[in-house]
Amino acid sequence: MAKAIYEGLKFRYKTTVIHRLDPRVKMLLSIVLFALALLGFNFYQEIITFVLVAVPATLAKSLKRLMRVVALSITFGVFVVAINLLAGGTVVESIVLAVRFLEIVASTSLFFVTTSPDELEYVLRWFRMPRDFVFAFATSIRFVPVLLMDLTQIIDAQKSRGLELDRGGPIKRIRNLVPVLIPLIVNSLVRSGELAEAMESRGYGAVKKPTSMDVLRLKINDWAALSLIIPGGALLIWLYIYVI
Amino acid sequence: MEFNDFSFTYAGSTKPAASHVTFTVGEGDVAVLAGLSGSGKSTILRAINGLIPHIYPGEYSGSVKVEGMTVQETPTYELAKKVGFLFQNPENQIFMFTVERDIAFGLENMGYDPKVIREKTDWAMDLLGIRDLAKRSPSELSDGQKQRVAIAGSLVMDPTILVLDEPTSLLDPHTALEVVRLTKELNKRLGLTVILVEHRLELVSTIASKIIVVKDGSIWIQGTPQEVLLSDGLEEVGLSLPPVVEVQRKLGLKSGGIALDVEDFVKEVPRLWR
Amino acid sequence: MPNEVLALEKVNLRVDEGELVAIVGGNGAGKTTLLKHMNGLLKPVTGTVRVKGKPTTESSVAELSKQIGLVFQNSDHQLFSESVKEEVAFGLRNFGFPPSEVEERVARALNAFGLGQMSDRAPLTLSGGEKKRLCIALVTAWDPIVLALDEPTVGQDHLNKVRLLELVRRLIRDKRTVLIVSHDLEFLWPLQPRTVVMSGGRIVADGPAASIFTNFELLESSGLRQPQLARLAVALESPSPFRDVDEAVAWLREKNGPWSSGSQTAFGKG
Repeated sequence: MAKAIYEGLKFRYKTTVIHRLDPRVKMLLSIVLFALALLGFNFYQEIITFVLVAVPATLAKSLKRLMRVVALSITFGVFVVAINLLAGGTVVESIVLAVRFLEIVASTSLFFVTTSPDELEYVLRWFRMPRDFVFAFATSIRFVPVLLMDLTQIIDAQKSRGLELDRGGPIKRIRNLVPVLIPLIVNSLVRSGELAEAMESRGYGAVKKPTSMDVLRLKINDWAALSLIIPGGALLIWLYIYVI
Repeated sequence: MEFNDFSFTYAGSTKPAASHVTFTVGEGDVAVLAGLSGSGKSTILRAINGLIPHIYPGEYSGSVKVEGMTVQETPTYELAKKVGFLFQNPENQIFMFTVERDIAFGLENMGYDPKVIREKTDWAMDLLGIRDLAKRSPSELSDGQKQRVAIAGSLVMDPTILVLDEPTSLLDPHTALEVVRLTKELNKRLGLTVILVEHRLELVSTIASKIIVVKDGSIWIQGTPQEVLLSDGLEEVGLSLPPVVEVQRKLGLKSGGIALDVEDFVKEVPRLWR
Repeated sequence: MPNEVLALEKVNLRVDEGELVAIVGGNGAGKTTLLKHMNGLLKPVTGTVRVKGKPTTESSVAELSKQIGLVFQNSDHQLFSESVKEEVAFGLRNFGFPPSEVEERVARALNAFGLGQMSDRAPLTLSGGEKKRLCIALVTAWDPIVLALDEPTVGQDHLNKVRLLELVRRLIRDKRTVLIVSHDLEFLWPLQPRTVVMSGGRIVADGPAASIFTNFELLESSGLRQPQLARLAVALESPSPFRDVDEAVAWLREKNGPWSSGSQTAFGKG
């Protein structure tokens, strides 16, 4: 399941209409969908929201991927249904709740799947977040695959010393993680040290306002998309709250 | 670039990592710093681009001058404009998600105009033959490609000196040779002064104009490859001599110079046989 | 035994007890993948891998690791204990040795590898060469029938490589079966091992060091650099491969009497 979440948030390079939108527009789209998912609490609203999520997902040729993430989140969804039923809700209410949850997952996933980490970094900088924070965030994401590879190698090495990660009761299993976590943490610390040296050697902090190679600029597609999303979103939100 | 009686002890340590190190590297030289692990080579390198003392505090005496600037008094970002530094592990010096953005990193830090950044980045990528990798993610690249990306990221700042800290030790033989050749080519084409830490002398003895041997923090011997490889007492230092050089030393060939690689030796052998 | 993305193809290899085998090739040749099949970290998709006659698919990694001791390339991926002796004890306990035996084996392994003085030190404070020795020591502690070293010389300085060579020679003298995966042919040359060359997931050659290492084209096409002494032996058309510097010197002296040590030929690129 963890792998599914990772896959659901991982950017894939494609050139669909959605992918090519300015990342700020994509973010707005996801936020609107997210809001609709949160606000909807009856059957009709859910159907509308579902369609609204599915359309961009299809345009982004990522419908299958999103479906998979959603499907795997269904276990959690079932959990939600069960709790709600126990708390005295009706079946319909429970299902609606579960569907809401899945839509929240899907709308978030939509953003991350269509937005490259680079673009994400640009968006955060546009929001005037402190450069150090954005850099730290971006670098952590960049090193996720490296960390995963380290983890696999560490696990292989420790298994070769007789460590069995899939045996024993819960306490034993947690204790068995120590030989895996310690090398991972130590290696990461060493890595941070090396990164710090490299940063310093390439002039990090030379200037208070570093520039960037690309500049975010809204193009025609973006304005077209915004002309749909902003009024459409506002209308739907109003409808959800007051009408349907 | 010159070191004058440079000594340094890391904060919290009792033993000096470098003591009374004095040497110069002239413009366009290729200098190789050789010695065992822990002999002080890394310390000396880091004193060139300012990591010592600016990131690593400690007891600092003597002076290090780079392009007329005194390292101790110059902030690291000023030095970064003149000195490119390449680390041993190519993975841990690439920060960004795409090759081109990582190469541009240094320029972004310096606050250059986006157009200039784009130009210089393209130039560096063309120079290293990695233009086609521009939009790729660094984690997908081979080690050799990663090293090229790292080199491009340093060259993009127009340094006059390139420092490499054991750039080949984690690479396989062919990639190692490629990096060494690339370094020599950059030295020739751009007139870059190169300072390289490498303890496998057989890889670099033919490209070096100067070899500096370090032992326990001090300089043991320095000179041209011929001078150093013919000197006495090299075994004590524990250096890896190219086998063909060892053969010539044992044969007693001293004056007149020795061949630094197998091909040269083989050519000369018939001349020496009576 | 292909994997997902054909990492290995039609590999046929047999290693007998007490042999020293070097598995060489450039990065990506499939050497580490091959090693991982030996202790069950990877199971073959087609074909079989057998240890002492039993297919690896019938045993767990832990069971196989007891017989096939792998020492991985990166020592920092293994060390985590509070003390060197605890580190060695870790594997022994996993393999079910009783406490009294654990203590004895730990002491024996540490002493054999010159680490006895450091038994209470934290492994993370050891030098690179010491860490590598510790990783090899801890694997020998449980006496596997095969000791497989994955790129033991990467990142090591000359002195440590000399020590490693001595170490390997001792393992051979102790009649252990040793497999060394490496692309460092200069290191392997003095050992004159049976050498298996891998390239692109296949085994492209398998023979004695003298014939493999003197084959320049084979080595080059497999991403390897020929050791200088082997190259010299071939270039000078010497009947014996120069196994070490002294052998080369002896032959050169014998072949042509006194060498002109005052020779005026300044050769080489000064």
